[in-house]
Amino acid sequence: MTPLAGRHRVRLCLRLVAAVALTLIFMFPIYWLYMISFKTASEIYAFPPKWYPSSFNFDTYRVLFRDGDAATVGNSLIVAFCSTALAMFLGFICAYSLARFSTGGKHLANWIISQRMIPPIAVVFPIFLLYVWFGLVDTYVGVILLYTAFNLPYVIWMMRSYILDVPRALEESALVDGYTRWQVLWKVLLPMCRAGLAATTIFTFVFAWNDFIFALVLTRTEVATYTVQITHYFGGQSNFWAKISAMSVLGTLPIFVVTAFMQRYFVRGISLGAVKG
Amino acid sequence: MKNCFASMCWKGLRAGFVIAGMTLAWAGVAHAQSAAKTAADAAKKICAGKTITIVWEAGLQSLDPLNFSGPLWEKETGCKIKVVEVPTAEMFTKIMQDYRAGSGAYDALNVVPSWMPDLVQAGALEQLDNYVDKYGYRAELQKIAPTYRDNQMKVNGKIYGFPDDGDVFIMYYRKDIFARDDLKKAFQAKYNYPLAPPKTWKQFDEVGSFLTDNLKKEGTYGASFFREAPYAMLMFQERFRVEGGKFFDANMKATVNSPIGVRVFTEMRNENRFMPPGVEKFGFVENLATFLKGESAMTISWPPYGRFAAGYLGSEKALDWVPKSTIAGKVGYALPPGGHPQLALGFALSVATHSKNKEAAYLFIQWLNSEEISTKRVQLPYTLRDPFRDSHYTDPVYLGLWPDAKDYLAALKAASQTGLLDLSLIQTDTYEEALRQGVGRLWAGEDPKTILDDVAKQWDATTAKIGVDKQKAVYNAWAAKSGAYPK
Amino acid sequence: MRSGQRGTFRERNFKYLLVGPAIFVLLLIGVFPLVYLLMVSFQGITMTETSTDFIGFANYRQLFSDARLWQALLHTVIITAIALPIELVLGLAMAQLFLDRLPGRAIFIALLVLPVVVSPIVSGATWALLFNHRFGPINQIIGWFMGRETILLWTINPNLVYPAIITAEIWQWTPFMFLLLLAALGSVDRSQIEAAAIDGAGWWRTFFRIVLPAIAPVMTVAVLIRGLDLFRLFDIVWALTQGGPGTMTETISVFTYIKGFRQFETSYTAAVALLVIVLLSTLVMYLLRRVELAR
Repeated sequence: MTPLAGRHRVRLCLRLVAAVALTLIFMFPIYWLYMISFKTASEIYAFPPKWYPSSFNFDTYRVLFRDGDAATVGNSLIVAFCSTALAMFLGFICAYSLARFSTGGKHLANWIISQRMIPPIAVVFPIFLLYVWFGLVDTYVGVILLYTAFNLPYVIWMMRSYILDVPRALEESALVDGYTRWQVLWKVLLPMCRAGLAATTIFTFVFAWNDFIFALVLTRTEVATYTVQITHYFGGQSNFWAKISAMSVLGTLPIFVVTAFMQRYFVRGISLGAVKG
Repeated sequence: MKNCFASMCWKGLRAGFVIAGMTLAWAGVAHAQSAAKTAADAAKKICAGKTITIVWEAGLQSLDPLNFSGPLWEKETGCKIKVVEVPTAEMFTKIMQDYRAGSGAYDALNVVPSWMPDLVQAGALEQLDNYVDKYGYRAELQKIAPTYRDNQMKVNGKIYGFPDDGDVFIMYYRKDIFARDDLKKAFQAKYNYPLAPPKTWKQFDEVGSFLTDNLKKEGTYGASFFREAPYAMLMFQERFRVEGGKFFDANMKATVNSPIGVRVFTEMRNENRFMPPGVEKFGFVENLATFLKGESAMTISWPPYGRFAAGYLGSEKALDWVPKSTIAGKVGYALPPGGHPQLALGFALSVATHSKNKEAAYLFIQWLNSEEISTKRVQLPYTLRDPFRDSHYTDPVYLGLWPDAKDYLAALKAASQTGLLDLSLIQTDTYEEALRQGVGRLWAGEDPKTILDDVAKQWDATTAKIGVDKQKAVYNAWAAKSGAYPK
Repeated sequence: MRSGQRGTFRERNFKYLLVGPAIFVLLLIGVFPLVYLLMVSFQGITMTETSTDFIGFANYRQLFSDARLWQALLHTVIITAIALPIELVLGLAMAQLFLDRLPGRAIFIALLVLPVVVSPIVSGATWALLFNHRFGPINQIIGWFMGRETILLWTINPNLVYPAIITAEIWQWTPFMFLLLLAALGSVDRSQIEAAAIDGAGWWRTFFRIVLPAIAPVMTVAVLIRGLDLFRLFDIVWALTQGGPGTMTETISVFTYIKGFRQFETSYTAAVALLVIVLLSTLVMYLLRRVELAR
């Protein structure tokens, strides 16, 4: 074994150790949270704290499904999925226009960015008023529209940066080869931004998924998302920790699946970086 | 006439009186018994197929309309009930936002009585007097326990809500610990009076610290409270008034920073010393867990503690989050030191002014609140609604629920006669918020006088902003209520 | 030439067609609230007052003399100034760690994204439980190191509240930086790095001269986005301390929430919101221009 390969081995080992340590540290709070869904009340309030439940019972999950609470995860899914798809599509093409053609110049770009600076807490009530007038309160369309609007600036901003990183040469040669502009966008540029797209999609989904303040004000019973449902479990005279935790598990599993799926594009996108130039 | 008092004339008269009396009594009884029936019958006519939307506290509280009263009402009247569950902290916000937007999405409401002045001022609550008279509910309303009836129903002399929850702070203590001979002897020797649940806060300090000193090695403390700011703030309201404090003087200037206030704050912090470490962060459930596991000998809280401690949950899955009680049968009930417990929070049933089904909504809340139905509701094992009618305290079924239930109900009844109303003015939350923050600073170690001076300053600023005269009128109306200050 | 002219026409329309739908959605949702805020900030609407008469600049004047508001802004800036750099450096380090091949890398990455996914309310509540003096493991772990039982009141002790909030915040959002920067690092031209290595440049030199400038655009955007989000920090603070003790950890959004959602000072809150928007916009524009110039 050459010294270089040996050093490489050591480095790999160290990196692995660091990766494991980091993951353990970051996962610990989640482990604690998930564990609670299997603990009994006495175990949750045990002193000294218990690090693992004495048994795995799925009663809480059963209750959540039986009572229909779990359905709110379904609502979150619908709303987050649709608004993400819409925001990614509209945002990506808009970002392309901004990046390649500088459409609207500085002013448009700045205006779009400024939309993200609006604190949701301040605008939620006027939007509520608007929605009452249009009968959009507690509807899927209303919530999806809202999340799309609130995620667009993020998508546009992020994708614009990622697109700017991609050299124009590929697109220009594709144009010369006879591709239409539309085809250039989807067939040439898109694959180059895979990693950035994947990352942006994940977080756009997450932002819609985790929103609380809009869901609280704009939904009542039909479209209640899982974040609103969880707050029902924090009472002045009760704290359904088991339910809070079980709902959190139910609420994070879909994201885990989405992330795992997006993973492939992400990792592929990172390794593709070597093929540039 | 002289002749009439003899023989048949008198017999006839007597019979007449008896019949008249019985008829009146029957009419009275029938009238009183049928408030629920009146409501149900009337509703059958108006609401067939309609849906009444009611705002209810999310979580355990909502199980009542979801699992019991809603389906029952639907069966009896054909009206559907839609329950909009709202987290406790957001209830006021959602009701006001909905009102301001004029959406009319809510028909009936659960409101905390201390919000009523604000909601009535804003115009969000429907005045109920006409409906009450139309459906003859006054008689049954009278039978709500005095403290709730006289303090949580009216604003400016008009009815805006039906008190529907007997929330009150009572003291729970471990009978078995207080009955221990070794402790009794030692305490008598040290303090010269018998060991017993304390009647004054000075006694509480002595009893609590004594018990902690002697029982700490066994893992039990003399007492624990929910010292987290929102709860401690309510306890402060009680103690401050019990010790003679007044919130405002005759000129509407805040006097929470009087020597009494400072003393109460100081004592509260000193007491933490003999309570479990970190008691400053105890909320409702941590305190409950501590008590149920036998780690504290005294505590003060809402009525559900009594039911949970007695193990009155059955196999109720909804109450899985309640730690198992290890002290069933060992719990005694008493009024807190000072004898005037805080009617902390509570709920009243109201009708929203923008509702499109006001009459149907009214009938639903009359039915919920009636003698017949409310008695059943307060006995549901999973309910957080506590007894609030005179008849609840003597209901034979309730008395038999667990061995000590009679003592429990007796304590609640005593509390219902001497309870203190939460402070409620215009913008109550702003005043309460200043107090909550003051409690937070107290636990953080700041000087009580400084903190209370700041609270008083904030209170005065808020009063000035609202308008001193305006607030004074509301305050005086509140102070005139029987439960405002201890008599 | 005919095709060339057609090409230019289509191109001109094309770029507008691309931005059109997005702008439409943004206008639909974005215009009314801002107009509303502007109008309402000049009115006197409170919980008890619904008259829509204009009262001039009264709300803005109150703004400038409201000590609590400026303290809230200060608290927010402090939290942002501490958490953001830590998240950036940590995220960058983690991205570098996972850049090259590693066995099981995909799993690690998928797991590490989870903290961002947990709803902020829940993560706030979870950290409250973790920091709980009796029922939480953190004091327990510290106790192991210290050798005795430690009761640290993380959410009450004035010296510990900020560390607690910042820790929860960093835990939740560093993965965000991590993922974004990983994507950016992954698209850096490897050939340039290899060339520098051959020339004998050390790792740090390569990093600062080649890598950093290459990922600067994404990094800037990430920092700006994260910074803006930190400014709007609410859930974690609310779950841990509710802005306490006193108003010590009250951030601007906690302040806005209390004033707008609890006390219904609709007009005043509108003025505050506009102030925040103006402040943030100015700051962001300034920073963006600096970055543009640097490029």
